Formats: sequence, C-alpha cells, structure tokens
Amino acid sequence: MMESLMPELIRMVVAAVLVVAFVFLNAMIMGYLERKLSAHIQRRPGLMEVGPHGILQLLIDGLKLIGKQLVIPEKSDHFLFRLAPVLSFAPVVLPFIVIPFSRKLVIRDLDVGLIFILAISSLNVLTILVAGWSSNNKYSLFGAVRSVAQNISYEIPMLLSLLAVVLMTGTFSLQGIVAAQGKIWFFLIQPIAFITYIIAGVAETNRAPFDLPEAESELTAGYHTEYSGMGFSLFMLAEYANMFIVCSIATTLFLGGWRGIPLPFGDYSGIIWFFLKVYGLMVFLVWIRWTYPRTRFDQLMNFCWKYLIPFALVNVLVTAVLVKVL
Amino acid sequence: MRQTEDVQRAVQAVAVAVTPVEYGQRGYHLLVELENGRVRDFARIMHDQGYFIGFVTAVHVAPAIEVRYQFAHFDRQSRVMGFTTVDAAGAVPTIADIFPGANWHERETRDFYGVVFTGHPNLEPLILPEEDVDLKPLLKSEKNLKDAAAVRWPEPKVAEDTAAAPAAKE
Amino acid sequence: MSEAQAPLHHRFHLNMGPQHPSTHGVLRVILEMDGEYVLNPQPVLGYGHRMQEKMAEARAWPGFYPNTARMDYAGALHYNHGYCALIERLAGIEVPPRAEYIRVITSELNRIASHLLWYGALLLDLGAFTPILYTFDDREQILDILEDITGSRLTYCYFRAGGVSRDIDDKFVERTRAFITRLRSRFPMLEKLVNGNVIFLKRVEGVGIIDKDMCQRYGATGPVARGAGVPYDVRRAEPYSVYPEFDFEIPVGENGDSLDRFLVRFKEMEQSLRIIEQALDRLPDGPVMAKVPKKLKLSPGDVSFAVEAARGELTYYLISDGTEVPYRMRIRVPSYSNLSVLPELCHGMLLSDLVAAMGSLDLVIPEIDR
Repeated sequence: MMESLMPELIRMVVAAVLVVAFVFLNAMIMGYLERKLSAHIQRRPGLMEVGPHGILQLLIDGLKLIGKQLVIPEKSDHFLFRLAPVLSFAPVVLPFIVIPFSRKLVIRDLDVGLIFILAISSLNVLTILVAGWSSNNKYSLFGAVRSVAQNISYEIPMLLSLLAVVLMTGTFSLQGIVAAQGKIWFFLIQPIAFITYIIAGVAETNRAPFDLPEAESELTAGYHTEYSGMGFSLFMLAEYANMFIVCSIATTLFLGGWRGIPLPFGDYSGIIWFFLKVYGLMVFLVWIRWTYPRTRFDQLMNFCWKYLIPFALVNVLVTAVLVKVL
Repeated sequence: MRQTEDVQRAVQAVAVAVTPVEYGQRGYHLLVELENGRVRDFARIMHDQGYFIGFVTAVHVAPAIEVRYQFAHFDRQSRVMGFTTVDAAGAVPTIADIFPGANWHERETRDFYGVVFTGHPNLEPLILPEEDVDLKPLLKSEKNLKDAAAVRWPEPKVAEDTAAAPAAKE
Repeated sequence: MSEAQAPLHHRFHLNMGPQHPSTHGVLRVILEMDGEYVLNPQPVLGYGHRMQEKMAEARAWPGFYPNTARMDYAGALHYNHGYCALIERLAGIEVPPRAEYIRVITSELNRIASHLLWYGALLLDLGAFTPILYTFDDREQILDILEDITGSRLTYCYFRAGGVSRDIDDKFVERTRAFITRLRSRFPMLEKLVNGNVIFLKRVEGVGIIDKDMCQRYGATGPVARGAGVPYDVRRAEPYSVYPEFDFEIPVGENGDSLDRFLVRFKEMEQSLRIIEQALDRLPDGPVMAKVPKKLKLSPGDVSFAVEAARGELTYYLISDGTEVPYRMRIRVPSYSNLSVLPELCHGMLLSDLVAAMGSLDLVIPEIDR
C-alpha cells in the first residue's frame, strides 16, 4: 500500500511546488513582457532603471507588493474580502495538472482533461463575484456583475469551438488531441473554431478590448478596486496564469501542442516549442490590448449571442456531418 | 446694423431703455435696461430671436445689486447686454426654465452675491460649500462699494469715443 | 433605453469623482442609476475653485496676467489673448501688426496642442491607452517651441496689453514650419489609428447627440456647437485680432454626436495649421509692443471681449470704476456652459456612453471652477 502511494505523493508535492512556482514566474515574465511591449507600442523605452533594461523591476515590484499593507474597507465583508484573492488562485493552478508541456511532461493525462480544465477555469468567475460583492463598493459590484455576465456568455462559444476539435479527434484527453495533430495542425482545418476560441479567450481573461470588468475609465479598477498589496497581486497572478491556460489550450488544440520542427534537444524540444507557441499567443493578446479601444457592454454581449454562438454552432454541425460522412 | 435694429424693436416693448452702443468700444451691440419683473419677457424674446445664453452675473453697486445677462447669436454678429436691479428682497425672477444654461450661472451668482432667483428649480450652492451659506465673497465692503453711476460709461465721453474708437480698433 | 419610470427601489446613486480616471481633474458627478443606465447625472463643481473673479477685483489690472493662464491649462494663450484684448479695447490701445501676427501664430499652436491632448484623452476614456502617447509626442514639440519663446510650457504669460512680451526670432519661424510639416505627415497616421476603427466608431457614433436648439438653450459653443452643425466661431462671427486676414474654414458636423465633435476638432487642427502658415508667410516687421503707460487707469464703464478658445467662446466682461483695479470681472468660460448640457444629454444613457459623451465635450475642470 505505502510503496505504491509514496512515489505518487512525492510526485504530487513536486508538481504542486513546480506549478505554483511557475505561476509566479509566469506572472513575472508576462508582467515584464506586457510593460515592455506596451512601452514599445507606445514608442517609449519602458522599464529601464532596475537592472539591464529594467529586467529586475518586476522582482522589486513583487517585493513592494508583498510588503504593502492590505487595506480592508471597514464596511466590507472581511472574511469574504480576504478569501476572494486566495480563492482566485485555486482555479488557475489546477488546470496545469493536465496541460501537456511535451510528449512526456504532463502531470496527469486525464481522459477528460479538456472538460476538467473548462470546469475548473469557470470557477474563476465565482471568485471575481466574491471579490466584487464583499468589497461593498458599487464600482466593484459593477465590475463583478459585468464579469459574471461576460464570462458565462463567452463560455458557450468557447466550449462550442473546442467541441469541434473534440468531434474530430474523438477524445477529451489533451495528449490524445496533440497526437491527432501529427499531420496537420487543427487551426488549418478549423479556422472558424480557432478564431472563435481566441475571441472568447480574450473575453474570458478579461483583457482589452473586452476588459469591461476592470474598465479603468468607467469603473476605476472594477472588481479589484478596493484591493491593495498582496490581495491585488494575487488577482494579477491569476489573470496572467489564466492567460497562460487559455493560450496553452489554444496551442494544444489548434497549434499542434508541443509538436514542431525537431530541435537538437531531444525530448526537451517539445517543451521549447510549446512555450514558444504559448508565449507567442500571449504576446498577440498583449498587442491587441494596447491597440484597441474598449467595447461597450451591450455590444460585447450582442457580439457573443448574435454572431459568435451561431457561427460556432454551425461550425460544430458542419464538423459533425463531415466527421460522419468522411 | 439692421439685424440689431430688429432686436431693438422687439426688446423695446419690455425694456426701460434700449441703447445701441459702439461695438468696437464695448464689445457688445445693445444695452438693455430692464425692470425687475420683465426679465423673463426679455429672456423669452431673446430665445425666440435665436440668441444663446452667454452668461448671467451680478455686480454689487449702490443702491442695489445689478444682475446682468449677456446673449449672443450663432448666425449674426449681435451681442446683447441686459441688466436689472434686484428688488427689495434681493430677488430677481429666474430665466433657468427658458435658458437651462442659465441654471448654473444663477446658482453661481447666488453663491457669490446671495441674489435669490425666484422660481429657480434648484437654487443650491453650486461652487461654494453648503456649510458656508453666509459667505458671499463678491459683495463689496462698505468702503469699496461704488454708486451705480460710477461704473457707467460717462455720457459725453461716449460721443467722443464713438468717433475715436473705431479708428483705433478696426 | 431604460425608462425614467424605473421603480424607485431599483435606483441608486453612484459617485463618480472627484478622483475618477475619466473625470480628468476634480469634477464630481453624482449619477442616479438604474443598473448600468444613468438616469440623472448631476455635476458637482467647485473642487478646484480659486475665485479668480475675486482675485481680479483685488489687484491692479496688470496683476491679473498670470491668473489668466491658470484657468485653462490646456489652452492658456487664448485666455491671455482675451484678457489683453479686453484691456486694449477699454483703454483704446492699438496693437502693432507684428504683435497681432505673433498672437495668432502662438494662439493657434496652443489650440493644436489642446486638441492633441484632448484627442488622446478621449481615446483614453474609451479604453485605448496608446494614442495619447502618440499625440503627446506631437504636443511636446509645440510645448518646446512655445517654451523657447514664452518661457513656460503650460501656463503662459506671454501677451501684454499692447503687444507681446518678447519678439519671435528666425529660429521660432523655422521650428514652427518644421512642426507644420511634421504634423501634416502625422495626420494620416492619427486618422488611421482611430477613425477607421470599428470599435471606436461603434462607441461614438450616435452617442450624445447635441442639436442646435440645445446649444442655444445652454450656450454651448466651440466644437460642441460646430459638431451640431452650427458654424459659429468667434474668429469669424466677431472677428478680432488679425483673423479676418486669413483664409480658413470652419468645419461643422451633421448629427451632433460624439463622432462629429471628434471629427470637427480633428479638422480644426488642419485649419489652425493653415492659419499659422499664412501668418508666417505674411509676418510683418516692426515693434511687438505698443506704447502703454506704466500706470494706466481704466476709464469707467463696462466692456466685453470674446475670443475663440480651444473649447469654445471665452468672454471676459469687465466693469471698471475708473481706477487701476477692475471693479468687477466676469469670465464666461466655454467648458462651464458645455458641461451644463450633461444632465439633459446623458439621461437614460449607459455608463460607458456617459464616459464617451463627457470625453467628447473636452472639459478642463479648473476652467469650469475658475
């Protein structure tokens, strides 16, 4: 009994530590990338002071945020207010369990991997609602309400677009889907699903032009208006980790996952390809964010229900028919 | 100017005195002295003639505070200056329902001078804090208060300057 | 649109400002809301109030020069211009032609700077962060040019009754010409960045419609009135300085929505460039300051002077009692009247549209508060 349990336990602990470490690392990389890229988009140098090209700035910022006092509004719901940032962390850590980083590097390749990810990541909206509600601030509540409406709506086209791929491969296992892309990557066969997924993904991660829950010019900072210090940074960590998850699903399902031209690193080349693709997509999201204005809330919802969902539905139907016929 | 004459005729009916003045010297075309009770009629005429509201303000002179209205026109070069004095209760009828733009100007005037605009929909302090109801910053002290005649253009000089000013300015 | 008859218990108040990212300064708006719909926005003024009108009454008239620039920090030279021209009108001072040309050139540069700032700020309100840094780049050039000649970057105190405080040199002319070429080449980019963007158009088209009647009732002027199709520009309607000598158009909109106000301001920048070009070409020689006695008593009487500031009609109204110190000074600022439209304009709007409509009014709060 013990003999079989121990290696599994060690494996889990190592995985958990690695994942949490990676979430922090990812936030630092993305924080740096976002600030540096946005700076160059805006024709300014950006971070330059701390370390070469400001590379250590994020470390300093992290230290500062950890050291900062966590201000809790007097009339907020103290328990929920403290709980929300912590809660926001769980749903972004769990999906890492099933993401295939390479042929061998996957913590656990579940048969229902895709469903697992979708189920877990939709919990995220709950934490935003808790944060917005417990803050006892109208702006926060606005942000939370917007976020709930937006995330629930955009989950539908997201699911439908992924379903098209699942229909083709006949598996929910992410490794299985990657294996099915040996000859051709699915974004070539399923362009509509891919585009739908990216749009829905931007909305799911609350990024501009769909960043209505934290629309700065309208709602100051939306659901995390009242958060300071580490409370705020946990939300930031979650946002970047969410981006990573959304992009890695896109990579796995549409861009061939860890596949790529063989590099002279043996098994490691898969990891390199995977990260290249994921960060490529994330840079793309950053690029969009710093280029476009924000949509209005009703426009956002109309776009989802009137265009995205019908297109995605038709796409699923066509795929289903074709899969049956061919 | 012919257009100004039109207005002059229309305003004549409600005014105590209507004086066309030299634009180059004063920056407006028509000076209209009004009775306190006819302000709304004047504003209505201005509205019907297509004038827009420039500003409403007051000036503290002896014996009573004067309230001044300036209107201008989008399509023609015509600027009209109306003025009246507050009544014994320090009040003047509001024109905020005819020109909603006057709403804030009247509230501001009330803030600074304490002039009451009767019939105003919402005569709350606009710029000054609610607590300082007695603070009327633009009222002159006894020492500095001037007579209304002291701030008028001197009568004979108007004729002289009318000849001199256009040459100087235009 | 949600109706005003929404049950009372659905309504709540949202306090926007005085520290809010899209009220650009210290404006506070109390919004009565029903969900995301704004039923009754009531601006609360006075957070930046300095009682400029009282200050004008408390000192000899030359002492008020620096104050003029402190009202509208984005278009300070127009405020300089209005005040100096007012004193000149009252005292009958004739300004040398070279000074008038310099006034026009610098004023128009300032107008462009103000519009560039607004262009970025509106886009910022709509959630696009990048354009403001592009326009700041161009605006910086203007500030540098003006700094060289006036000594300050924002709150200029350059015009004097009777002329300007310093003559311009060849370097100024050269730099201004270079700037005109530069900005002209940047226009297509600024236009492409924004005007063709679907998200932007959807956010401003048909949002916040102000018609001519509303402009008349509220006294809204400047680009707000011109966006509503009213070709009212003080530079044409009541010509002052040497503006009649220049050939320029008054761009007007059709529908009076936020997009029209946007386009009007955008086209105005081009017209300002045209005016500057013509003025530079015809710049006369001569003195830049008329002979004005050191101690000048103002003759008794009242005098009004209107100029076209970047945001609309700015009127100084002075009542003098024959001393050096003005007896009463009234400053009619354009943003004040333009903002008073807000409760009627934004009734029944979405919160996001309110932000867009308010951005398109181009408000400068210290100017409103004075």
